[in-house]
Amino acid sequence: MKRLLFILYFITTVAQAQTFITESGYVNFLSKASLNEFNGESDKLNGLIDLDKNLLDFYVDLNTLETGIGLRDKHMRDNYLETDKYPFAEFTGKMKTIPTLSTGSKSSVTAIGTFKIHGVERQIEVKGTLSKNAKGELELEGGFNVLLSDYNIEIPKLVFYELAEKQEVTFKALFKPKN
Amino acid sequence: MNRSLLLILLGMLPFSLFAQLERNLANPNQQVELIFHAPRHINLLTVEPLSKKSMHFAIMHTFGTLDGGIQNLFGLDNGANIQFSFEFGLSEKFSLAASRSSRDKVYNVFGRYHIFQQTQNGSKPFSLSVAGGGGVNTSKYDFLPEPAPNFSERMSYFGQVMLARKFSPKISFQLTPMLAYFTDPRPVYQIEGTDNLYVALGFSGKLKITERSSLALQFIPNLNTDLRSNFGIGWDVEAGGHVFQMYFVTSQALNEQYLLAGGNGTIGDEFRLGFNVNRIFATGQKRKKY
Repeated sequence: MKRLLFILYFITTVAQAQTFITESGYVNFLSKASLNEFNGESDKLNGLIDLDKNLLDFYVDLNTLETGIGLRDKHMRDNYLETDKYPFAEFTGKMKTIPTLSTGSKSSVTAIGTFKIHGVERQIEVKGTLSKNAKGELELEGGFNVLLSDYNIEIPKLVFYELAEKQEVTFKALFKPKN
Repeated sequence: MNRSLLLILLGMLPFSLFAQLERNLANPNQQVELIFHAPRHINLLTVEPLSKKSMHFAIMHTFGTLDGGIQNLFGLDNGANIQFSFEFGLSEKFSLAASRSSRDKVYNVFGRYHIFQQTQNGSKPFSLSVAGGGGVNTSKYDFLPEPAPNFSERMSYFGQVMLARKFSPKISFQLTPMLAYFTDPRPVYQIEGTDNLYVALGFSGKLKITERSSLALQFIPNLNTDLRSNFGIGWDVEAGGHVFQMYFVTSQALNEQYLLAGGNGTIGDEFRLGFNVNRIFATGQKRKKY
């Protein structure tokens, strides 16, 4: 009995090494409307990859998104994302299959889960690549599209030509083992 | 046996409970933004800051009084007072501006400094800014029998404190104690006051009606003279980078000194139509990373 528990203890401690986190992932959105194309970015993507439990959990504080024009950022926060009420964009889900990671090689991964922004939750599928570097850190890259109307973000007619309905989201992050 | 079992279980506990990340704001003292649509609200300056390296350009007009009716196209025939104003954000907190108003051909230079801003978590319940500057009247006074005023006699100054709060996403309010000083307020100047110093308390209100438009109010009672109070009511519309402001107001004055000393018509009867176009230009925009 005692030996079994020690083994269990050992396993959970090992499982800990299968958990990777980041607080400084890069996330970008690209808006391609007919008259105006612009992007917004943040390097404050927080993320967790638990290979043992197959858990993915990400969030970014939308207040940290910058488009390069201060007034546009304010309008984005105030009129569209309403960050005072809904400060985060979140994704919680799992990988369809957990790839076996060998150092230096990239594996395609597909994640399914719940994406939440502007107070609306939807099931989405995200494609990306996952790889392990020599230091034992994980590198994740990927992207997905967000239709603003799916999340009750209305585009007024006046700016219809300047703000795209479809926002192309990409992200890239380096995850360190959690200790 | 029991104790070691407990210890072992405790050791496992953090990992079995550990699931999602805790959501934390990057900046817990996130500022409340867009208390007003623009750095101007009808005629008064607001606490709304400019981003660093951005420029706020405002064209402001006020026309003749409405009481001329359709004959004078509700005052539009009577000639407008027009002010061009350029304000540059030198930092996130400080901006410097120059303006030119056609009434008495006044060139004004002023600065605006934001001491602190209202935060979403309430650690700062309101925004506090100050502004001040001076101007020179450049009208020609050759027609006068007496010598024309010299440069210093043409000067006027103003200073004001702006205290604003967004009470709800729809309602914002600003209190603006202000004063103006004319070194030599001559009757030939287009002002009604004869005093050097004018003290007033400005009230500005915004009531958001739709996502992109608001009802605007302005009330500026003079505190140390018997000049009538300034009253204005208007409609602000936000359209991308522009903010259009249409309003009825009791004074044709557009800069701070003349707002206080310029005199006002009676509310209702001697309203004038006014119109501001505000545009923010951003420079130093980041280059795309593609």
